[in-house]
Amino acid sequence: MAARFTDFLCCILLLLLLLGVTPATSGTIDNVSVEVVVHPSIAIRDISRNSLRAIFGMRLRAWQDGSPIRVFVLPDEEPLHQLFAKVKLNIFPYQLRSAWDRLIFSGTGQAPFLVSSEEEMRVRVATTPGAIGYLKRVNIDDGIQILHVE
Amino acid sequence: MLNRTSIFKIYLILIGMSLTVLHSSWINASDIDKKVLNGLQIHGFLSQGWTKTTDGDKKEKNDFFGDSSGKEGSFAFRELGVNASHRPLTNLQLSMQLLSRQAGEDSKGGIRIDYGFLDYTVLTTETKEFGVRLGRTKNPLLFYNDTRDVPFTRPSIILPQSIYFDRVRNFGLASDGVQLYGESRSEWGDITAQFSAVFPQVGDTSTEVGVLGRKYPGDLKTRLSYIGRIMYERDGGRWRFAVSGAHFNIGYDPDLNDPLSTGSFRFSPLYFSAQYNAERWSLTSEYAIRHIERENFFNRGVPDSNFTGESFYVQGIYRFNPTWEAVLRYDVYYADRKDRDGNEFQAATGRPDHSRFAKDLTVGLRWNITPSIMMRGEYHRVNGTGWLSTLDNPTFQSMTVVQPDNPQPLNPTDQHWNLFAVQVSYRF
Repeated sequence: MAARFTDFLCCILLLLLLLGVTPATSGTIDNVSVEVVVHPSIAIRDISRNSLRAIFGMRLRAWQDGSPIRVFVLPDEEPLHQLFAKVKLNIFPYQLRSAWDRLIFSGTGQAPFLVSSEEEMRVRVATTPGAIGYLKRVNIDDGIQILHVE
Repeated sequence: MLNRTSIFKIYLILIGMSLTVLHSSWINASDIDKKVLNGLQIHGFLSQGWTKTTDGDKKEKNDFFGDSSGKEGSFAFRELGVNASHRPLTNLQLSMQLLSRQAGEDSKGGIRIDYGFLDYTVLTTETKEFGVRLGRTKNPLLFYNDTRDVPFTRPSIILPQSIYFDRVRNFGLASDGVQLYGESRSEWGDITAQFSAVFPQVGDTSTEVGVLGRKYPGDLKTRLSYIGRIMYERDGGRWRFAVSGAHFNIGYDPDLNDPLSTGSFRFSPLYFSAQYNAERWSLTSEYAIRHIERENFFNRGVPDSNFTGESFYVQGIYRFNPTWEAVLRYDVYYADRKDRDGNEFQAATGRPDHSRFAKDLTVGLRWNITPSIMMRGEYHRVNGTGWLSTLDNPTFQSMTVVQPDNPQPLNPTDQHWNLFAVQVSYRF
């Protein structure tokens, strides 16, 4: 009886897996470009994707001059955060979350600073030395600097 | 069953930590921002689980995390943790986590220091890092061991028991000593390596029962042990591979009139891990080969032994959307790879053959109610009792060797059984 129940559950799950192989329609925003932004005092203009991943993965903690990197992110469920992870880091948002949790709960690293809105992101990155974050291109002004990803 | 004192203590610590953070804000509101920027962080989690086991025969019962075979199942599965980390300098971090875990007879819910160490990064460049950690660090083994007691980081409520033993767990968790670590990042991937020279934790009853078969008057003694892991991650973690291993040494300090002598126990596991992460699904597999050596106890109940166990699991995770996730896993455990069906063991000891293996088929669902609240449910169909807790199922605890004229123990466990589990977790 129980074995049959298991078989049944497995069948259902496999069916769902097959159905799910169809490409995911992303619920993110269209026609919006996201840019990596840093505090105006940061001297560099370009960064490699690897280094950007290491920074947002909370593994690279200092700029080349030794000053601390301060990472700002929007909540996991924000469309802009998801777009940023996919387009600029080329990873999925859930991977960032797992990477952070592995650091936070083993004591080997720390979580990024969480901001609740793009406006807060803009203000915090513009006023915090060593800050890095991301914004929609339309929301970027002179008080902040764009970092190009190579 | 509720260990109220320990929960109360955790709350006290939590409040204390919050007060420490908030203290300065009473004096000057802008200080809190400064503190946060200077790298003081507090995180934590708590969870409540329910387990229920059933089998075909009412006379036989298998218990998992408490009296799960009882009519109402068991609520004795609870995890509480709070951690603080402080980074006063860019290359210096202090971290500590307090943990209280209750899971049947093996974990009674006292508060212990899960980890507490000083982390100094000696060398750091854009592509390389090298450093040292001093204190109690999590044992760098496999994919999930470092955060195995944090529900949000696990693929299921109960980790694959063939490899992540919960019945003999403490010496596998975290150890006291020195850890060296290094990282190298490049176009073709990231390599992370950790190596520890440490003293594992062996002071609890479940470890003693795991090592000796039952409780004895003396105490286990921790001895210098080695743990290491090398991980290779490609394309930002799309592919992940790891090789990890350990050489755990445990001694024994006999009491007066102890039936046992100063014996030794060596546990040397070697693990291979692989994972592929796509947008909707992840595939994970881990394989373990464990060498176990026990000698010089000079007792019929704890004979010299030398054997090799083997385990593996294959696991698929599917994400329907950010809220719902399903897991399917097949997990296999063999206590002795030369006696996979346990026949030789049964002939030699009179204990059941099915206590030497376990094959577990698991299906589960995860529901992220909010980013910080999660609920899970899962079902395990298990053939074999290889990883069932000896303390929760005390059939053989009192009788180390069953007499040949009475080969059937009084409270037998059932070979084929079902395990249901539900868990609610909160994080901050």
